[in-house]
Amino acid sequence: MTHPDGMAVAAEAPRPRRRRLTRAAIGRGTVPYLLILPVVGVLGALLAYPIYRLVILSLQKYTLFELIRHKGVWVGLDNFSSILHDQVFWHTVLRTVIFTVANVGLTIAGGLALALLLVRVSGWVRILLTSGLVLVWAMPQVVAVQVWYWMTNYQNGVVNYVLTQLHIGDFFQHDWYASTFSQLSLVTLLIVWGALPFVAITLYAALSQVPRELVEAAEIDGARPRRVFLDVTLPILTPVLLILTSLSILWDFGVFTQAYLLIGPSHITPGNYLMSIYLFQEGFQKADYGKGSAISIVMLVIVAALSFFYVRKMVRVGEVE
Amino acid sequence: MRLRVVAVAAMAVLLGLVAATASASPQRAQANKLTVWLQVDAQSGWPDVVAAANAQFQKDHAGWTVDVQYQNWGDHLQKFDATLAGGNTPDVIEMGNTEMVKYMAAGAFSDLSSFKSSFANSGSWLKGLAASGTYGGKTYGVPYYAGSRVVTYRTDAWNKAKIKKPPSSLAQFTAYAKKLAAANKSVKGFSPVYIAGTDWYFAMSFVYDYGGSIAKTQGGKWVGNLDSKQSIAGLTAFKNFFNVASKASKTSDENHPAPYDVYSQGGAASIIGPGWFSCCVGTKYKGVTAQFVMPSHTAGQAMPGFLGGSDLAVPAPSKNAALAADWIKDFTSTDAQRALQAKGNIPNATNLLGTSVNERAATRSWFVPAAKHWVDVENGNILRNMLAQILKGKLTVKQAAASASDNITSVLNGS
Repeated sequence: MTHPDGMAVAAEAPRPRRRRLTRAAIGRGTVPYLLILPVVGVLGALLAYPIYRLVILSLQKYTLFELIRHKGVWVGLDNFSSILHDQVFWHTVLRTVIFTVANVGLTIAGGLALALLLVRVSGWVRILLTSGLVLVWAMPQVVAVQVWYWMTNYQNGVVNYVLTQLHIGDFFQHDWYASTFSQLSLVTLLIVWGALPFVAITLYAALSQVPRELVEAAEIDGARPRRVFLDVTLPILTPVLLILTSLSILWDFGVFTQAYLLIGPSHITPGNYLMSIYLFQEGFQKADYGKGSAISIVMLVIVAALSFFYVRKMVRVGEVE
Repeated sequence: MRLRVVAVAAMAVLLGLVAATASASPQRAQANKLTVWLQVDAQSGWPDVVAAANAQFQKDHAGWTVDVQYQNWGDHLQKFDATLAGGNTPDVIEMGNTEMVKYMAAGAFSDLSSFKSSFANSGSWLKGLAASGTYGGKTYGVPYYAGSRVVTYRTDAWNKAKIKKPPSSLAQFTAYAKKLAAANKSVKGFSPVYIAGTDWYFAMSFVYDYGGSIAKTQGGKWVGNLDSKQSIAGLTAFKNFFNVASKASKTSDENHPAPYDVYSQGGAASIIGPGWFSCCVGTKYKGVTAQFVMPSHTAGQAMPGFLGGSDLAVPAPSKNAALAADWIKDFTSTDAQRALQAKGNIPNATNLLGTSVNERAATRSWFVPAAKHWVDVENGNILRNMLAQILKGKLTVKQAAASASDNITSVLNGS
């Protein structure tokens, strides 16, 4: 619609009268704003106000003492500096980043593999697989944690039993919760297991968008399956993969329920903190709400930085379309 | 089309960024209703005592009702904090005795000193429990009941190992554990005495038995004391006893699995824990289960045990403090205490004490440091972590104790 040279347009179609601001024109001008008003209102109430409160709280000393009196004490950036000078914080950040990379990587790779498998298999196997995935998806997190805990139980865990029966080693009374690595590996397995259905089903849906004739054309040109996948399928999946990856980063970086419950409150120490658990221990267990707020703001910044690349790419992909 | 999908997804990402939800249970303060938070123990163990107190209260205060809401130990403090923020606190709350100090120091409870004389047996309350509800000389918590820890054992297994009666010293108990292990070699993973690796209540009993302590005050400051010679001797004795007696996980706590489950499945000849463990030993061993007081390393003495317990307090924002105190009076009457005692609990006053194993064990007891920040030591799992390190052999007792002790010093003196 727009012409690079506005003057030329004016010359081509001379309009003797300047457009008047009629009531109808004003009406037309405000309609879009009226239409987005509810969204702005809802976002303001749901996001802006809590964030505003969070920021205020993070600048105050607000512990149990202040909570009872409903009045915080202004301390400026003290909460932030105490976090940034806390060794535990930096170790936790590093641990959580590694944890997130592992979880997201395994989730996306596993989900993609499952989606590709779904395309290949016969109808009834696909139905069986999909129902399995949906069942996993439908299981509430807390219930899933309980089941996994039973399976890996020291006293009579079924995982220990099966591994022993398969002669993989003597896993009788093997303590899966003895080391941080082992604990977080179990949490990773649980999270990836729980996240696979969403990723796999979404990618499977996206795969159905890959035009059959494109694949066939590539195959006729002699492209091997690997090439077809890399040059035809993957580019079409890219937008969806970007969305899934950034969502997974958000979920996994801030994961709390599975980690806290599976590792167990009595096993939680600074040596195995993830960010959200660090936040929970400092903010809620120690009832230091000011510091807790500061930690959640720092978390927000880190997550934003982690997903910046993906969100930017996603927006670019959107613009091109 | 795809643009819209992308836009929607981008929105979802944005929303996901700030997934901060706050939930508070709405409970409007109703006229003429007293809200009481008790732990589920009362609901499952002695609902009749609660009902009797409510009936008495309603008889004395016509038109008032009592709303008893049952809570779990795991999250009741977080819920309580939320009500403190929202201004809809209960009128009476049951608190664990180790949880009291932090809240008393922050001014969360009403001073009940002026009502003290109206509570039954308040002149002879159990010292440890009364102390847990006192801060700066004022009474904020009314002792509710106590629980001590004893050894629950299978007489059939002990007889099979040719052991005639309970041990009178730690050394003898250790020798018995070896005998029990030898007699049950065929049972895989059998524990002569099942002890969870990070059961700090039991481990600290060794520390206090050898004259050590968790922390002490020095010049108005708290100093971790686990690195003292006596404490280290106690921790070493615990490690040695564990290695002989228990096949439990070195990193698990005393609730996962519940020791009585291991026992009822035939995995242990004895277990350590509260006296009420005898409730749940399973039908198979019901008839062959007995209890004794854990012996000290000094022959003939009892090992000091952790005295757990609960207090009842009135949150400061409650507008019905006098009525709340009156309900507490009804709920801690001598009759109510006798009923709790009949269920295997220790009553709140010395003049009510009987001669059960449980009550005998309460005569020599230890309690956590009365420091404002003690609960942070518990929630930070400092002691559990130390015990796991000691038992796994990753660190020597001395190293693990020194690091835990430093940690405790800094946490207890926190702002």
